[in-house]
Amino acid sequence: MSTDPMTGPAAAPEMLSRPGRRQRGPLWFAWRRFLANRAAVAGGVVLALIALLAVVAPLITPAGPNDQDFLSEALAFPSGAHWFGVDDLGRDFFTRIVHGARVSLTIGFAAAAFSVIIGIPLGAAAGYFGGRTDWIIMRVIEIFSVVPPLLAAMLLGALTGGGFWMIVAIAALFGWVQVCLLVRAQIKAFKEKEFVRAAQALGGGPSYVIRVHLIPNSISPIIIGFVLAIPMAMMLEASLSFLGVGVPPPTPSWGQMINTGLDFMYFYWHLAVFPTIALAVTVLATSLFGDGLRDALDPTMKAQ
Amino acid sequence: MIGYVLQRVLSVLTTFFVVSIIIFLMMHSIPGGPFDGGDMPVPDAVREKLNAQYGLDQPLYVQYARYMWGVVRLDFGVPFQSPGETVLELLGRAWVPSLVLGGLGMLVGVPLGMLLGMAAALRRNSWIDYLASAVATLGLTVPVFVTSMLLILVFSVWLGWLPSSGWGEPQRWILPIIAYATIPMATYARYMRSAMLDTLNKPFVTVLRAKGLSERRILFQHVLRNSAIPLVTVFLPMFIGTATGSIFVEAMFRVPGLGNYFVSSIRTRDYPLEMALILMITVMFCIAYLISDILYAWLNPRIRHGGRRK
Repeated sequence: MSTDPMTGPAAAPEMLSRPGRRQRGPLWFAWRRFLANRAAVAGGVVLALIALLAVVAPLITPAGPNDQDFLSEALAFPSGAHWFGVDDLGRDFFTRIVHGARVSLTIGFAAAAFSVIIGIPLGAAAGYFGGRTDWIIMRVIEIFSVVPPLLAAMLLGALTGGGFWMIVAIAALFGWVQVCLLVRAQIKAFKEKEFVRAAQALGGGPSYVIRVHLIPNSISPIIIGFVLAIPMAMMLEASLSFLGVGVPPPTPSWGQMINTGLDFMYFYWHLAVFPTIALAVTVLATSLFGDGLRDALDPTMKAQ
Repeated sequence: MIGYVLQRVLSVLTTFFVVSIIIFLMMHSIPGGPFDGGDMPVPDAVREKLNAQYGLDQPLYVQYARYMWGVVRLDFGVPFQSPGETVLELLGRAWVPSLVLGGLGMLVGVPLGMLLGMAAALRRNSWIDYLASAVATLGLTVPVFVTSMLLILVFSVWLGWLPSSGWGEPQRWILPIIAYATIPMATYARYMRSAMLDTLNKPFVTVLRAKGLSERRILFQHVLRNSAIPLVTVFLPMFIGTATGSIFVEAMFRVPGLGNYFVSSIRTRDYPLEMALILMITVMFCIAYLISDILYAWLNPRIRHGGRRK
């Protein structure tokens, strides 16, 4: 399993065998543990390739993603000129798929970033102050836990009419909970430590102690929360777009393309196959990468 | 224990109340109403009369109070898209395909996942261990509609063995059941494996081995029982996964179930049906959480005797 803690600490004996070497930081050991996890490294490499494709998309595609340049060849099967064929509206399908990676990755990373931005202060407040603050934040999280995120997201998507940034907002709305819980747990564990006590005794206020001492010590859970939020947001976007309440056409979205492909699959298989595989590979690679980072940064944490 | 249960019930009721208010407000913040026309424009006078008939001209808090009073008596109103019946009747009809397919999917997925997880834990780093982690990762990360699409492409489009959609003859059920089964299978494979590994590494297992107990008895009498507790709590996330996945499974396979109605109710701004669906699902989750928390406390003697679970 990619989340096997036993394959992790391979770096430990090396440290013992070379006592004269300079001290290695925890991030160096995390990096070693990550490299030892083949599935995670493969996921990371695939994700990097997809990201690269997305960045250079306009250079490697024959037309713009929404240009109906090939109307006379509409629904053509894959060929040398059109690697993934042409879609029903005369657009080069390879172009659409590659630009779909842009949409998917941007939404994934943006939503994860917003999740972290919302989750850190709330998690820090809940963990540091405890008591009533903690109680209120935990009750809010409890509400999120009984409402299935996909159904609620669909409802929100339908209410707001979807749209690129709306999807990011919806994904962040459901993504911050995980980050908040991770940060809260870490800060609760650290706030009784001597160095925090010392900072408080020297007159450090809550915001100073949290900013200077507790957040830097929560960097691992924050990274974990961030990378795990990315595939969630990508799945959410694809699911909403599939149901027609996500990113509106003509913006190329894999979820939308799969929905269209469903209507054509008996006769024009390429319209169904390519977006399905693109989405599956991207989400899978991102999750493997995220799981690997989590195991590397926090070997004691179990797969949930 | 009783105090703990009461406290949980109270907190679940509050959560449900808050969720119902939020959803009610959200539903009514949609611009436009159900009788605004579109395909069939309605004269102003008729629209006002319809709005009055369904109570849509009242202030929001009145509408909410009236609605919740009805919910308590299981009266969810009349669905706008099918005014000849009540929401409860429509849901009663729509439950059947969802329940049959979802239930069969769980029935297939849970035991398979448990077996896979057990085999993986007992034969670590063998091919079956890698198979189990592949299944778990794929099932938990790839959206259900992608799995469904691949199933349809392979088994109906290319091989032509099974019909791709519909509801009726049992052979139409096979593909949706497989699609449904992926989530419970993946969840249970992952949790069963980690729970068993956890237990197998406990000192008491070493003691049992030292005592000379056969591996079989250790496994069936001690390890399995001690691995069961986490599986009880895992049932919930899995249930949520199956329930939300059902929307996509039903959309892909064109099954006339709950998920299908959920989608159509969002498209047609069918407030009564949509409210009823979301409230029902929320209630189901609240109850499921409650039961699992209580079961967990009851199964785990450390919690049963030592106050509440944090």
